Amino acid sequence: MDAAKVDMFIMSNGKFFESHQVPQLRERLLNLDDSKWGLIQTVQFKDPTTSLIFSLLGGGLGIDRFVIGDTGLGIAKLLTCGGIGIWTIIDWFMIMGATRTKNMDKIQQFLY
Amino acid sequence: MHLSRGKLYTIVSIACLTGYIWLFCNLKSAQNTINNHSVCLIKNISNIPCPSCGTTRSVVFLWRGKLIDALLINPFGLLLSAMMLAFPIWLIFDLITKKQTFLIFYHKTEQFFKKPKIAAIAIFLVLLNWGWNIYKGL
Repeated sequence: MDAAKVDMFIMSNGKFFESHQVPQLRERLLNLDDSKWGLIQTVQFKDPTTSLIFSLLGGGLGIDRFVIGDTGLGIAKLLTCGGIGIWTIIDWFMIMGATRTKNMDKIQQFLY
Repeated sequence: MHLSRGKLYTIVSIACLTGYIWLFCNLKSAQNTINNHSVCLIKNISNIPCPSCGTTRSVVFLWRGKLIDALLINPFGLLLSAMMLAFPIWLIFDLITKKQTFLIFYHKTEQFFKKPKIAAIAIFLVLLNWGWNIYKGL
């Protein structure tokens, strides 16, 4: 794919991925066929900041986990009062990374 | 897009272990001391019980054989007790036989709860239970 297009994509969507994954993602996109550009552009990612807000406000009910698509863990968090409160606090720090990993998993479905 | 087998099994093992330690701590202490020092963030901040408040008391009641009391204080306790009994055995079975039946079950459950109709019913039930918790003043 055209380097300019890839750089534009990275610039606008870089915040949705872990920083160490970005070079690898760029490499992968450069080698990708041009016909997939339209598809890649329409993929919607979850914003890590939004999930942090959900985690701070509704972490005790597992809402943050439901939002990023970890339904199973969300149910576990809901039933255990946010993991006796400990998991809630851990997730305040973990949820942004978890969201970025989820985004990477999502784009990977289109890359291969 | 899914949790790996190792990660899921680690999380469930830690959760079950913590659950049992928590349960035994509460069994050893005298009756209903949980009321005095709640760990629930929501309850401590807003003084309103959360949907799963009373689960520990429910499991303790169940441990002492009082099924009706357990059900009346919070039905989540029964669900959690069933999970705490079944999951460790299931995990050990999976680890011994080197299968991943639990992982498959987990993903199937996740898919099941992602269906809009099922999700709506589940959310409604949780909200209903929450309302009941607030009404009971747990």
